[in-house]
Amino acid sequence: MIRRILSIAANTFRETIRNKILYAILAFALFVIGMTFFLADLSVGDFARIIADVGLASIHIFGVIMAVFLGINLVSNEVDRKTIHIILSKPVRRSEFIFGKTLGLSVTLLLTTLAMAAVLFLVHLSYQYGGRAEIGIFIASAGIYMELVLLTCLASLFSTFTTPVLSAIFTLSLFLVGHLTKYLYVLGEQSKAAAVRWGSRFLFFLLPNLENFNWKNEVAYGGLKSFSILGWAAGYLAAYAACVLCLSCLLFARKDFK
Amino acid sequence: MTHERPILSIEGLSKSYPTGFWRKPVRVLSDLSCEVRENEIVGFLGPNGAGKTTTIKILNRLAFPDAGKVTLFGGRVRDGADVRRRIGFMPEQPYFYEYLTGGEFLRLCGQLCGMSRTEMESRSSELLSRVGLSGARDTAIRKYSKGMMQRLGLAQALLHDPELVILDEPMSGLDPMGRMEVRGIIRDLKAAGKTVFFSSHILSDVEALCDRVIMLHKGRKVAEGRVEELIGAETLHIELVVSPVLPADRLAAAGIPPEAGYAHGALLVLRAPDNGQANRWIAALLREGCMVISCVPMKKGLEEIFMERVGVSVATGTAS
Ligand SMILES: Nc1ncnc2c1ncn2[C@@H]1O[C@H](COP(=O)(O)OP(=O)(O)OP(=O)(O)O)[C@@H](O)[C@H]1O
Ligand SMILES: [Mg+2]
Repeated sequence: MIRRILSIAANTFRETIRNKILYAILAFALFVIGMTFFLADLSVGDFARIIADVGLASIHIFGVIMAVFLGINLVSNEVDRKTIHIILSKPVRRSEFIFGKTLGLSVTLLLTTLAMAAVLFLVHLSYQYGGRAEIGIFIASAGIYMELVLLTCLASLFSTFTTPVLSAIFTLSLFLVGHLTKYLYVLGEQSKAAAVRWGSRFLFFLLPNLENFNWKNEVAYGGLKSFSILGWAAGYLAAYAACVLCLSCLLFARKDFK
Repeated sequence: MTHERPILSIEGLSKSYPTGFWRKPVRVLSDLSCEVRENEIVGFLGPNGAGKTTTIKILNRLAFPDAGKVTLFGGRVRDGADVRRRIGFMPEQPYFYEYLTGGEFLRLCGQLCGMSRTEMESRSSELLSRVGLSGARDTAIRKYSKGMMQRLGLAQALLHDPELVILDEPMSGLDPMGRMEVRGIIRDLKAAGKTVFFSSHILSDVEALCDRVIMLHKGRKVAEGRVEELIGAETLHIELVVSPVLPADRLAAAGIPPEAGYAHGALLVLRAPDNGQANRWIAALLREGCMVISCVPMKKGLEEIFMERVGVSVATGTAS
């Protein structure tokens, strides 16, 4: 089972890294991140803010674009192009297919996120910090990466039952809402109606809380207090992704292919 | 020599596809039952839209039936790896990952089938040369022609040396040479003890290759049987060729209705309705001083049988 998942993942990885559009997005992202080098000249004083506001934000945004762009096509491309017919006629379970595809894309995103973080790191290293290596960039990027993996799982969930365009809309909506769930909860708690309070708590629990992966500010302002936040985020990711993937497998299990 | 043990049996398979939100679903398969026995070559025939591909998809769990049961190797089809490992499948117009080369694709298939690296390498070069793709091993599939894809489809189906090979229109899109090669491959599979189930529109290929055929029309089975039984059961007439040409009055005098024959150059061609008549006519013709040049029972080809069954079932379908 593991071997088959890994074969599919390796093939998906190969598929995505042979995707020219991905390279175009990545090249543009690296260019924008590289440009922060000149931004430091313009801003007054606090370089840490530049990392937080521009560099990491670029990594975040471009990462989301890549995850959504590749994620929505992950499964639907195989179904539309009928390449899935041969794969599933082999001794491969549909769940293994879903897990393998998601794993393969996660590896690609790991590399692209690392590349972007590395460029930002170099910009930072080359500038006036006098060669201080800002490890915080990688720590914050780890959070971004976890979020991207979760978005990939969501995108591939949607792509098992709807068109790429709708999948993209759903995933991006969840991305936006996922960063605002805290406010949803706070607003809900202020309501006098119990139903609304419980409704908002339920939604808060159901929707992905993407702020769990956001420690850009902590990193920018003097580093993380403790690494337990990473552990908590990783656990949250594992649990949430597992649920989403299982739901995908369930929806995919008895689908007829045209 | 065929064994009686069914390797694939289909019982009461039915399938409908939804056509729209509120419209009635279309029936694609209605209560289809048939079987394929060990070491047979079975042809699956039917006009466009008869439901052949749908049936084959159900066999490979790419679609699920509304009712009915498929039994493979005597046990129920499960997602189980053991059953899948023993089946080779080539879809109709196979599609591949265009970013891979033929060799890379076969390697992926081998990995998914749990083959060892050395086994995979030797099998894939053997098969690529068998299907005439040795030269295209390292060419991106994006650059393959239609026929090359078809050949690669066959290679991937046979890679893991399956016991049961299911092919959806293996000859379509191939040149005459390619068709001959595929016929050879199918015969070799049988000789190696494998079972082959394939759909086709090319009746001459089916007639030449298959032990048995299953004919489908509008999702219903209209015929199933051994090729020679389907063909042999129905002799159209016996064709006698004699020389010289006798005039009509001498034919009538010999007890042969003149309208049963026509002159073809220096030869007289006669159509006797059955063996008894043919023998009586031959005796009379010999007495008249004629020479019998040939005497051939004319049987229905698969094509005539196919047209007839499909025609009949259309008629009964509209009557009921
Ligand atoms: N995914 C689908 N959705 C709706 N209808 C479908 C679908 N797939 C097949 N059909 C219908 O089912 C019927 C049978 O199709 P199928 O592909 O099984 O025919 P076939 O016998 O393989 O034909 P051909 O010889 O043209 O390949 C057709 O009428 C087709 O329109
Ligand atoms: Mg078909």
